[in-house]
Amino acid sequence: MALLQISEPGQSPEPHQRKLAAGIDLGTTNSLVASVRNSIADTLPDSAGSHLLPSVVRYATDTIEVGSTALAMATEDPENTLMSIKRLMGRGADDVDVSAIKLPYDLVAAQGMVQLNTRQGRVSPVQVSAEILKNLAQRATDTLGDELAGVVITVPAYFDDAQRQATKDAAELAGLKLLRLLNEPTAAAVAYGLDSKEEGDIAIFDLGGGTFDISILRLTKGVFEVLATGGDSALGGDDFDQVIAAWVVEQCGSAGQEQTNSQRRKVISLAKQAKEQLSDTESVEIEYEQEKVVLTRAQMNVLVDPLIDKAIRACKRSLRDAKLKTNSIQNVVMVGGSTRVPRVRERVAEWFGRDPLCDIDPDKVVAIGAALQADMLVGNRSEDDMLLLDVIPLSLGIETMGGLAEKVIHRNTPIPCAMAQEFTTYKDGQNAMSVHVVQGERELVEDCRSLAKFKLGGIPLMVAGAARIKVVFQVDADGLLSVSAEEESTGAKASIEVKPSYGLSDDEVADMLKQGFGSAEEDKLARSLREQQVDAEGLLQALSAALLQDGEALLSEDEQRSILAEMEKLQAEIESGDAGSIKAQIETVGKASDHFASLRMDASIRSALAGHTVDEFEKGLD
Amino acid sequence: MQSKELSSYFELLGVPVSWQVDESLISSNFRKLQAQYHPDKVASGSDSERRRAVQYSSRLNDAIKTLKSPVLRAAYLLKLAGVDADMSSATFKDPAFLMQQMELREKLGDITSASDPEAALEEMFESAQAAFDDLSQEFEQRYTNKQFEDAKESYAKLQFIDKLSREAEELEHQVLDG
Repeated sequence: MALLQISEPGQSPEPHQRKLAAGIDLGTTNSLVASVRNSIADTLPDSAGSHLLPSVVRYATDTIEVGSTALAMATEDPENTLMSIKRLMGRGADDVDVSAIKLPYDLVAAQGMVQLNTRQGRVSPVQVSAEILKNLAQRATDTLGDELAGVVITVPAYFDDAQRQATKDAAELAGLKLLRLLNEPTAAAVAYGLDSKEEGDIAIFDLGGGTFDISILRLTKGVFEVLATGGDSALGGDDFDQVIAAWVVEQCGSAGQEQTNSQRRKVISLAKQAKEQLSDTESVEIEYEQEKVVLTRAQMNVLVDPLIDKAIRACKRSLRDAKLKTNSIQNVVMVGGSTRVPRVRERVAEWFGRDPLCDIDPDKVVAIGAALQADMLVGNRSEDDMLLLDVIPLSLGIETMGGLAEKVIHRNTPIPCAMAQEFTTYKDGQNAMSVHVVQGERELVEDCRSLAKFKLGGIPLMVAGAARIKVVFQVDADGLLSVSAEEESTGAKASIEVKPSYGLSDDEVADMLKQGFGSAEEDKLARSLREQQVDAEGLLQALSAALLQDGEALLSEDEQRSILAEMEKLQAEIESGDAGSIKAQIETVGKASDHFASLRMDASIRSALAGHTVDEFEKGLD
Repeated sequence: MQSKELSSYFELLGVPVSWQVDESLISSNFRKLQAQYHPDKVASGSDSERRRAVQYSSRLNDAIKTLKSPVLRAAYLLKLAGVDADMSSATFKDPAFLMQQMELREKLGDITSASDPEAALEEMFESAQAAFDDLSQEFEQRYTNKQFEDAKESYAKLQFIDKLSREAEELEHQVLDG
């Protein structure tokens, strides 16, 4: 129990063991896996030597193909070959404007997230992503020669709670231990910061296939602080391809005609090819439907400029949020394949007034940063190495009267964070109330994303307005929300029923896991029981030691007695052999000793800070 | 014996309870403490370890945010002094302040129709900042002299100016995106 068992900085209570960890960049168009080997972080190639895995999954007659094998069949078997699936993660049918995204799939509006019809039946975006993750994890295991202790998966900084939760669910479904969800731009900064020991404020300009992110970070002596993030979750290289494709169709005189799915794929792939060639040449000839057209770089610049304008506007907003001017940005880091487009580099250099950094391959930089972070999180590096302080990308709010969203946690608030909000009853004897949590910046609830609806039940009988229900919104280091509630005047815990509007419920994930694991289920149960027993024993040991040391000094007799009573119950549960009830009692003991742990932490911090000067701290951080 | 209260945010970050805070000291103390107690330090630990780390790290984040923001810091100082800083019970005894508020609001309303909205905004930010600085001084004086009810009035004024600045920022987003 780290917070009860306080060790000196830099001293790990466990002997040093090297563990295998990987960073995964789960991209819209391509995905990569990287790992730290012999102190060097690099992406891992597949057996054919390719580092990029196309994020494509094909449901064939009785197999599931992933990557280039699947991509090769995209034109021939479009309905069963799923691409750009990241755009559907955590999205409900109402969010997906099919015509705008131009995805040729058979989408099904399901409870919560959309699903897709394939010849192997309905699949959810979470399942499709899990296939990609499994493929990459297998590649890592094969290359590194052992099981992975954990992975870090990157997500766009702009991902909301539902999209992050969906990514987490995909990792669980793929059987991976997820150490952390890391924002992609932050990962890129990690990759650069450690290589070149940069200090100061930097902007990460990440234009990928499907999303654009801009992040403003401050690097100070090994601490990465995210000052602001912004961007556009529907802007990327795919949009470049779309505008070029539309131009080609128009030039070939096919404008206004209905296209088949395979025609659409064909012209988009031609557009993509032309875009890539124009990075090195001034003009390129495109042949579509027996017509030939010439696209010059200048013409392409005209086509993509409105898209780049959108990106620059997002940069302005983020700088304002970070309270900085362009001239205080010391470095601009380019991430994502679309930053290879010369026009993008030109416009970014012009706006920031400096040449952007492109030393690390913009396709690999995110995976490399994730690998470095994963290596640190499994404990392969010393304690005071690197610290990542992240922010929540979108505001969290609750629905109030008249369909308005009242912000509870503002965007760009550092995470983890907790915010308490008080509610009261409006009728005598009211014993329940509903809370609707939304995420987004807009004023109206209907313009924000609905995250969850809670029903607070078990409110004690009181007159209207007398109940004081404190609801605590807690956002963890991954940016994921949890909620708890308590009626303050009586201390009664109000029960919460969580109905996720999007994403999968834990039960749904458990069901999918069952299907996936089949006979491995029993092993899993046994392992989970053992894990809970180890946790429980550790907690009891640490708590006993802490009570002996500080119980008298910090707690009243009653408080000590109530903690001891819960500890005895936990001791009894360890023998019971039921993982679930051990886990529940661990939670109860944890809650009963929370105040004690906080007091001890404060005492330890006071002694840690006592009598030190600023200089010493600065040295300590070097 | 009685259970003790948790340390104040000032103690947590190793500075005395006062309006003036040493920003570089609280920042370096904050980084040092986060480096030790952040959830990433127990990423492969048990659920309860991680839950506690999340709670503690959250408290540190709230502490630094509160101490760095003049408005939040003022409210927190009043709370520590046992003064209810709830805005709804605040009253203004200062007609000059109300006049200034009305003038600033009028200016804000005219910005979109100004010939150079960006320059008008810049001027707006400067006036708001000047008013904010004056009020901060007023708050400090009253707080230090333990005139808490008067300090509460200064705090309420600070909130007005702060709200105005945020509205000006919103407007700037619109102007920039125009």
